Amino acid sequence: MLAIQHLKVSYGITQVLRDVTFEVPAGKIVALLGGNGSGKTTMLNTLSGVVRCSGGSILFEGKECAGLSADNMVRRGIVQVPQGREVWPSMSVQDNLELGAATRRDWGAMRADLDEVYAMFPKLAAVRKRRAGSLSGGEQQMVAIGRALMARPRCLLMDEPSAGLAPTIVGDMVDTILALNRRGLTILLVEQNIGVAAAVAESAHILQGGEITFSGPAAGLVDNDEVLRSYLGR
Amino acid sequence: MALFGRRNVLVAMLLFAAVAPTFLNAYYLFVANTILIYVLLAIGLNILVGYAGQLAFANAAMFGIGAYGTGLLQVHFGWPFWLAFPLGALIATMVGLAISLPALRLSGLYLALSTLAFAQFTQWVFLNWEPVTFGAGGFKTPPISFAPLPISKTLGLYYLSLILVMVLFALAQNLVRSRIGRAFVAVRDGEIAAESLGVDLLRYKALAFGISGFYAGIAGGLYSAMLNFVSPEGFDLFQMVIHKAMIIVGGLGSIVGSVLGAGTLVFVLEALRKVKGVQEIAFGAILVGFILFMPGGIIGYLKEKVRGWEEPLHRARASRRPPVAATSESSEVRP
Repeated sequence: MLAIQHLKVSYGITQVLRDVTFEVPAGKIVALLGGNGSGKTTMLNTLSGVVRCSGGSILFEGKECAGLSADNMVRRGIVQVPQGREVWPSMSVQDNLELGAATRRDWGAMRADLDEVYAMFPKLAAVRKRRAGSLSGGEQQMVAIGRALMARPRCLLMDEPSAGLAPTIVGDMVDTILALNRRGLTILLVEQNIGVAAAVAESAHILQGGEITFSGPAAGLVDNDEVLRSYLGR
Repeated sequence: MALFGRRNVLVAMLLFAAVAPTFLNAYYLFVANTILIYVLLAIGLNILVGYAGQLAFANAAMFGIGAYGTGLLQVHFGWPFWLAFPLGALIATMVGLAISLPALRLSGLYLALSTLAFAQFTQWVFLNWEPVTFGAGGFKTPPISFAPLPISKTLGLYYLSLILVMVLFALAQNLVRSRIGRAFVAVRDGEIAAESLGVDLLRYKALAFGISGFYAGIAGGLYSAMLNFVSPEGFDLFQMVIHKAMIIVGGLGSIVGSVLGAGTLVFVLEALRKVKGVQEIAFGAILVGFILFMPGGIIGYLKEKVRGWEEPLHRARASRRPPVAATSESSEVRP
């Protein structure tokens, strides 16, 4: 569904992604792992059109998407749940969700989608008029996910959804990711937490120094000595 | 509805403004008209700074461009005020749109500095392009006439200003409660998040700059007609500081706050005009006082203490319709 080929991204003279190639098959959850500064977030920002690539290609459903602006990427169906949640703090929960559908004009269907998001996250329905900035971390993560869903993505990019959440809530997040996938969403998950990645993803890629250094099934990650050595330095 | 809620207070203010000319003397009518003009400036700037979060310093320059545009089109081409005025505002709008281009790449202090540089450049043009702008001495604009209406120029201009304030206030209130207003807030609250979710930054930043340019341009045209005189010093850095102070005192991110801030500051500045030198000190003290003790401005205080001043980013909505049945043919995955 999403094929990234020989992708290169630079910030000025610093090359962040050297030559990245991997695929996200339709209907699957793929994890992208790596240490700090390995280029994971840059990878997602490039896929969502916020950062421009300097070479390579991004094929989404067979169509070239490299170089498209962010709003066009959203229209094609690639939507990001940004790192650190990044909800709009001074807006109400409902306004956050509605603005997730910034690229849409089909008002009636948007109303219906809003109700479905509330059905999926009943906690949000209870606080729909509260300022999003006043919610807990877990609730803000629900807002961030719901907001992305309002754009009707076909491929969801999630940037460290478990970061900064209490361990008990991380379990809920795993359930949420699996539930989204069961509804047919293709998910590219960037994680620092190998446990989360192994619990939800089928395959995993490790990004190191701007290149993919390991690709394989996600289930074996936790026991793979080579991976742990290269990635965690153990 | 609370007795001292926002709507009642605004209606009372409007009624007062409508009948004010019957009992105000010429000087106070001038002050009242000045307040109306500054209300427009404050609303425009608040949309740009308070809602869209663009820390720009070109409002006084745009105010000047509106005034110069309106005045010069009358002087050089002999056009009537009724044609020169909207065109002057249009020129200011265009300039506002042009300034938004660097704003796409710059933010925070860098945007502040570049727009400040633009404002100084505008000053320089007013001062030095003498064949067109008449230099430091400024120029007189032809007196406007409201014929065939049986109404004096002062009174006519006051009511013209009042009508424009009503219309543009309502427009701004509707704008900030619409999707556009919420997109502005999204750009202010989290630019990356807004962009990655498909909020078109170029479009909304340009729109915010264009709108603030339009409001400042309208204010400039009215100002030139009120004074019958245009000169560069009316649009300098101090003017910019006044505009900023108005939205801080009134409350950032509030249209009603802009009105209250503009009214308060014009009133204070005029009240202190007699005592030389005190004006700037009092002005500075008010600004520092608000930043330290009432960072939400007057409107922040009212929202907290008085019922009926809440400002949602939504119009009051009728009861929600039942959810529309989903179309199953769609290949899109629904949440």
